[in-house]
Amino acid sequence: MTYFEDFAVGDRMRHFRGSTIHEVEGQLLAKLVMNSAQGHFNEDFMAKTPFGQRIVFGLITASTVIGLATQDTAEDAIAELGLERIRFRSPVVHGDTVYAATEVLETSPAPDRPDAGVVRFKHWGFKPDCTVVFEGERTVLLKRRNPLDQENA
Amino acid sequence: MTVDPASFPLVERGRQYEDFADGDTYEHHSGRTITDGDATLFAALTLSYNPLYFNAERARGEGHPDLVVHPMLALCTVVGLSVEDLSEAGGPFLGIDDVTFHRPVYPGDTLSARSVVVDRRESGKRPGDGIVTWHTQGHNQRGELVVELRRTNLVRKREAA
Repeated sequence: MTYFEDFAVGDRMRHFRGSTIHEVEGQLLAKLVMNSAQGHFNEDFMAKTPFGQRIVFGLITASTVIGLATQDTAEDAIAELGLERIRFRSPVVHGDTVYAATEVLETSPAPDRPDAGVVRFKHWGFKPDCTVVFEGERTVLLKRRNPLDQENA
Repeated sequence: MTVDPASFPLVERGRQYEDFADGDTYEHHSGRTITDGDATLFAALTLSYNPLYFNAERARGEGHPDLVVHPMLALCTVVGLSVEDLSEAGGPFLGIDDVTFHRPVYPGDTLSARSVVVDRRESGKRPGDGIVTWHTQGHNQRGELVVELRRTNLVRKREAA
């Protein structure tokens, strides 16, 4: 279980699992979510560009990095609230392996929810050579282990 | 046997920088019903281990009517639906900001997407490109706002093509 009280500003963690992004994570998910840009699924088309091969849809990279961080940050989250400052620092291609690291940026009470709190995380996604592929902030609503008294909420 | 593709006129897709003006609004094609297969496949392939996305009984125990669709799937789908109108001609993401997940999506919900051009400017670094920012919203079948975001891309200029 991950509770609101488990996180303090400045906490850092590197998540145990990485994920190699192949056809099923890259082009399959790009097609599944209706991304019609053939740069994600037409190898012939991309071979004629400076990239030389298909590029993984950035939001699939983002989803993978957030996924790799989920068990340690939000396994029992009540809700994902939002994202900020999503940046794709270098392209991911099929065959690349992505790892995730996280820092806690902010913890705050949840308006109207004495049983919960809000944590803002910064996530990084990186390849084995440490090249950053993704950065972004994510805000999550987490249960409290010890709910606040109503008057303190 | 071969075919001469040039004997068939190409049906072009995608807009370029000059095609966007501040305030232009796009109602994107198709819409997308999110099935429970989509939801489980996406959560599994992204290793998103929150039981709300995998275990309907746990989700119901938390007050949901069914499995919860991973909010990242809702975001990816709304952006995906917007690609044909906004960014299919190419040009990488520069960033996504101000993503808010307003309410849960459940299997069987149908998402539709619309976007408004909120900014466009020349690229200082890349004279062949412009930079366009769109505000994109995803709604469910009841017209309720599910997710919104601001997306900024490099977009090729026509004269550079």
